[in-house]
Amino acid sequence: MRAYPLTYKKLTPVSTTASKRKRSGFISRAALPYVLSLPALLVCIGILIPFFTAVFYSLQRYRLSQPWAREMNWGENYLNFLTDPGFWATLEVSLLYAVLTVGLELLLGLAIALLLQRRSRVNNFVSIMLLMPLMTAPALAALMFKLMTNQGFGILSYLLALVGVDDFRWGSSPDTALFTVVLVDIWVYTPFIMILLLAGLRSLPTQPFEAAALDGVPRIQQFFRITLPMLTPYILTAALFRLLESIQQFDIIYAMTQGGPGDTLTVFQVEAYLNFFQSTNVGRSAALLMILWAITFFISNIFIKNWLRLRERARGEA
Amino acid sequence: MSYLEVNRVSKHYKKNQVLQDVSLDVESGRTLVLFGPSGAGKTVLLRIIAGVVEPSDGTVFIDGEDMAPVEAEHRGVGMAFQNFALFPHMTAYDNIASPLTAEKLPASTIEERVQSVAKLLKIDHVLAQLPRALSNGQKQRTALSRALVGEPPLLLLDDPLRNVDAKLRFEMRLELPRLLSGRGATVVYVTQDYKEAMAMGDKIAVLNEGRIQQYGTPEDVYLRPATIEIARLFGDPVINLFDVTPNQGADGLFASLSGVDIPLPDLSEQIAGSECVLAVRPENLEFVDAKADNAIPVIVEAETPLNEKVITLAMTTGGREILLSRPAGAPGIASGNAHVAIKIDSTLMFDKATSKLLGSNSNESNRGEAA
Amino acid sequence: MQHVSLIERLLRGVALILVVVFFMFPIVWIVLMSFQTNETILRVPPSFIFEPTISNYKALITGKLETSAASLEINFLRNLGNSVLLSVGSVALALLLGVPAAYAFARHKFKGSEDIAFTLLSFRFAPPLLVLLPLSLYFQKIGLADTYIGLIWVYQLICLPLILWIVRGYFEDISPDIENAYRIAGHSWFSTFRKIALPLAGPGIAAAGLLAFIFAWNNFIFALVLASADKQPVTVGALAFVTASGIQYGQIAAAIVLSIAPTLALALYAQRYLVEGLSLGAVKG
Repeated sequence: MRAYPLTYKKLTPVSTTASKRKRSGFISRAALPYVLSLPALLVCIGILIPFFTAVFYSLQRYRLSQPWAREMNWGENYLNFLTDPGFWATLEVSLLYAVLTVGLELLLGLAIALLLQRRSRVNNFVSIMLLMPLMTAPALAALMFKLMTNQGFGILSYLLALVGVDDFRWGSSPDTALFTVVLVDIWVYTPFIMILLLAGLRSLPTQPFEAAALDGVPRIQQFFRITLPMLTPYILTAALFRLLESIQQFDIIYAMTQGGPGDTLTVFQVEAYLNFFQSTNVGRSAALLMILWAITFFISNIFIKNWLRLRERARGEA
Repeated sequence: MSYLEVNRVSKHYKKNQVLQDVSLDVESGRTLVLFGPSGAGKTVLLRIIAGVVEPSDGTVFIDGEDMAPVEAEHRGVGMAFQNFALFPHMTAYDNIASPLTAEKLPASTIEERVQSVAKLLKIDHVLAQLPRALSNGQKQRTALSRALVGEPPLLLLDDPLRNVDAKLRFEMRLELPRLLSGRGATVVYVTQDYKEAMAMGDKIAVLNEGRIQQYGTPEDVYLRPATIEIARLFGDPVINLFDVTPNQGADGLFASLSGVDIPLPDLSEQIAGSECVLAVRPENLEFVDAKADNAIPVIVEAETPLNEKVITLAMTTGGREILLSRPAGAPGIASGNAHVAIKIDSTLMFDKATSKLLGSNSNESNRGEAA
Repeated sequence: MQHVSLIERLLRGVALILVVVFFMFPIVWIVLMSFQTNETILRVPPSFIFEPTISNYKALITGKLETSAASLEINFLRNLGNSVLLSVGSVALALLLGVPAAYAFARHKFKGSEDIAFTLLSFRFAPPLLVLLPLSLYFQKIGLADTYIGLIWVYQLICLPLILWIVRGYFEDISPDIENAYRIAGHSWFSTFRKIALPLAGPGIAAAGLLAFIFAWNNFIFALVLASADKQPVTVGALAFVTASGIQYGQIAAAIVLSIAPTLALALYAQRYLVEGLSLGAVKG
């Protein structure tokens, strides 16, 4: 060691706390995060058990009404789907419902978001009002529309009659049932897409628009060349999120028609529910849900990637 | 004896090596300055000492005790953060009082000690404010007060003057040494500012890319910088560097600069014929008469008067830029042709390939690397 | 701002009115209906002008429904009470479990933490019946069938991921130095968590809790599968009520109004929190 220059005066160190110094506490540093997340983890496992049970059921011939005939039949439930028109009907109506609702909600939600883009008191008021349908329980929304489409006194039926459509039977006719539940879905969930896209729109940088306006680019072109590309991540996130929910829709359809009339609206979860509780066919029900799970797993993986990227960006800006 | 000892500490995050084999020790009551560019690993080292980051390898001893099993709250250190890290939901008073509440002191004692440190740092009038209502200078003083109030035997100051304006920085640079020496605490002070490092440190450790490049007194580091890089970092205006290839002449070593043969002092190494860098501080260059010995002809390009000195930018006939510094009032040449001479005894010679200081006893101060 | 022509402003105004009418009309209509007797409801043409009555609400509160055939006992208030109990209980449990876990995930990147977080998140997107149907069989075996505890536990399926992911984001936004400073000042990790992390993430925790409450309240499928009549929340209860009360439309409307009022009121009260929560933090509100 080098000697210090003499000009530094020697200081007496203050009493240290060394004697009081404690070792680490009851929970060690490495174990702490596990301890904190253990309760949540247990719930997690509690949910994983029924999930694996469902996988197991889907590989069985299992009817609640015939417990004696329960046996493993491996892939038979799945193989049967290939020749089962009921399954294909389920797949078709589920996809149709999902595509129709998400597609229409995207268009409508984007249009409304553009309408409300400028911050003003009226626009803020309207966007708060639009939260209301989203806060309504979908099952209750379906009941509301059931009342409004009642043949006897429903206001919507009355309005249609005024314009000369007399025999529009809404949820009770196979021809119009899908339209009716899609309408309820649009009423409930369009605001979700609108809110996300509105926030997206308002977070876009203004310079490209100012530059385009200076260059005299028509506003239609501004929309397609600037707004839409910059908004794409938001649109994608909203669409994927809604697609995930929509392909699993149960509440609206069950509350409106219980899957009917006939088997018109037997989407995946409704069909699985009816299989389980009405025909007590646990095996088929579980197999149906496994297929739905496979579809949602695929979509949710894409969604989560997109969403995390968007989330990082939002937090970077904030 | 040394109060703080850092023994061969390394830290890596996944593949990213942040600290490599760093060893330091600080005598009780002394101030060590950790100096280096941003990203050098200074802050991580400070956090490892404080106990909020665990080293991947190596040991920290405080007062002779191995800190590995000791949690941050039991290490008895005070720390001021570069970004202040004030608790945004607590008043300045509660911020400062936080080390005392941890000790469960009686309220009257806490009050007394907070008031006295606040008075010392001239923030006793803003104690009731939340941090967001404070100016940057007040925030910085609050953060310092919080670090000092518990009278910790070891103080870690992470570039505390970085985020304050120039005037305040100047004031605090004068004030801080007085504050610290009055307490007898051992201090580790992080900075990127060489003047601060020179003013604050009993010793300076120059950290770069996770390694200690030089460890010595401020005079050591200034007069015998271990590498070209350190020579450039210490000193303002920046040191002049000339690529030279020394030759052995009849009267000893000489190097050719702009056609003028400059005699060089003898070094322990054999450097004749090898590529070297001659480093000359601007204050070691002076204007001379054209007939003087070893006068180098230059063209003066510009002159910048600062308060206490005048900086001149000149160009040699070979097109090299050189900076001269002279005390304000000393005679100089503002433009046109002139001659300069090098005070050759104050120059430094570096090996161009390794950028290490040649000659002298530079090895002694390179403790960090030798260890 | 670009110059906006009169026609454009007019068109925008009309579009805005259409939007408001489409989205608000059903709620307004149901509210109006709930204040009418069956007589005025069944009038053709329907009219906004009627003599309001609170008889529908009175019937719901007393639990005595006068149908054309007979007097019917239905305990809709019990459904409301169940909704409150299930939602509050679920959110409380989810906060208790989720906030510490969110803190662990945000602050300590421990082994497997991302995997657990993503597993929890993926529950949010998996078909609920996949878990519910086997669970309904298990619950019968272990005696949790048709109990509040069993239901509240299942509600974690929606509440826990929500709390975990939103609150985790808020914890991550707190500078670690602020917590480090408190530790170095001599406080244990637990008091740092309590005195620094919790208060600073407070708004986020409130927003997540609020959102979880709304999702729990609006949930339909869990109780449909797992609860019998006396444990059912309003969503399931209202559906059963429609079947039971037949053509007492005014009372159905009143029941719906009572069922949706709490979430709508919460939304109005805390709308600025909702935007960020709804998008799981994908946009800052």
